[in-house]
Amino acid sequence: MSAAVDFSLEACRERIARWQPRVNAFVRIEDRPLGGGTGPLAGLPLAHKDMFYRSGMVSNCGSKIRRGWVASETSTALERLDAAGALQIGTLNMSEFAYGPTGHNEHWGDCCNPWNPEYITGGSSSGSGAAVAARLVVGALGSDTGGSVRLPAAACGVTGLKTTWGRVSRAGAMPLSHSLDTVGPLAGSAEACARILQVIAGFDPRDPITSREPVEDYASRLNDLSGLKIATSTDWIARHADPEVASAVLAAAKTLGAAETEPPDFDTLSAHCITIMSSEASAQHAPWMRERPRDYSSAVRVRLEAGYAVPAAAYLEALRLRGTWLERFCSRTLAEADLYLLPAMIVRIPTREQTGPRGGADMPRLLAGVTHLTRWVNYLGVPALVLPCGFDSRGLPIGLQLVARPFAEAALLRAGHAFQRETDWHLRVPPEAG
Amino acid sequence: MNSWNPEAVEAILFAQGIRLAPGRAAKIAAALNASAGLADPMLADLEFEADPTSYGLAMRRCVAK
Repeated sequence: MSAAVDFSLEACRERIARWQPRVNAFVRIEDRPLGGGTGPLAGLPLAHKDMFYRSGMVSNCGSKIRRGWVASETSTALERLDAAGALQIGTLNMSEFAYGPTGHNEHWGDCCNPWNPEYITGGSSSGSGAAVAARLVVGALGSDTGGSVRLPAAACGVTGLKTTWGRVSRAGAMPLSHSLDTVGPLAGSAEACARILQVIAGFDPRDPITSREPVEDYASRLNDLSGLKIATSTDWIARHADPEVASAVLAAAKTLGAAETEPPDFDTLSAHCITIMSSEASAQHAPWMRERPRDYSSAVRVRLEAGYAVPAAAYLEALRLRGTWLERFCSRTLAEADLYLLPAMIVRIPTREQTGPRGGADMPRLLAGVTHLTRWVNYLGVPALVLPCGFDSRGLPIGLQLVARPFAEAALLRAGHAFQRETDWHLRVPPEAG
Repeated sequence: MNSWNPEAVEAILFAQGIRLAPGRAAKIAAALNASAGLADPMLADLEFEADPTSYGLAMRRCVAK
């Protein structure tokens, strides 16, 4: 899918051998790839976050608690990729139980950013972002509950699609927060994401929240930009984002001809997302939190502990308000546009040390800056695409985010493809060490 | 509204069978107090009949035509 890169199995294996010691993207590398055969993705090497179950195979979920756990079912997303002929060449590192935005992992080792290993990959689909950025695979599945596809895409300089809640089946994927969880692809371009989404999207009787909304032909209409309108909030970005981030994102807005619109209430929407996520994740983990709390990392344990103090009334209030806020976003922010443009993060990518167990006093501000512009999208349940739009003065990627109405993934991919025809940020590859 | 304190956090988790790591109650109480100060501006207009399933109907209304 990228003409400049050799994605033969042999070439990918050679790159994995060189990059794995530096970035720790893989948890397992298959001796012989799984899947394969004929179909629209025939022979394409993929690897997936270590939380998509495959019958008879181990899914560790980035944790100590599930280390060595063998799945008894195969996720619908993997079944569909297998049927399309894709190869699975391994499983990828992730944040513990997908509950962290940076890519730190004390059980399996931190996943490191291929552009500079001192910096975070973003999480929780950390291995997916790093593996795609280093061209170890063509694409990878991730999950996104509060930004977990988009943050690694932004930090690693690749393209990542957070799908509409209900567009892609979560059956056979590790749950975190059932009202927010989504599955989506990370790849080298919007075009590659479109090809993967085409295969995995659609109703699944194994996941009752999947929609019967028709699946569009994502790949064949990529060049059709007719009538697509984009809006942004220039003043908000200029006031709140790091200057280098703002400069790159506003230049992208100019390239895409974005008009002006009012920003959503990010603070309120993010707060509701946290209320729902922490309540549901803590309920999901209650048996292990009662029986073996010391087997969680400190960072994940404190997030889970906080969820038990959220009042049920606050949780239900956040869910009752969700439809009202969705309609407000579509009728106000998207009143005159199809897509809303903003940064993926308001800060430049922090280091692993700044945001890890030995992080200093600035850590809360940095973590808030990493997640401030992703969680609100999960609360609304709408789709969003992140793609690279520049590099900062340290040589690290800057991510652009586009957000759409429910089930408008095709519009996102068309805009992303148009941007990637005009720019070459997505074609840049991190330099190999030594 | 009354504010959270570490003892209240410990008690509410203890009742659910959750043992807090040392020193955590104060941090969680502070976080809860910070989020309790955020008032949703839409709450006053929320219809009495609205329930979590209203979201599904809103999603259908918001799909691009």
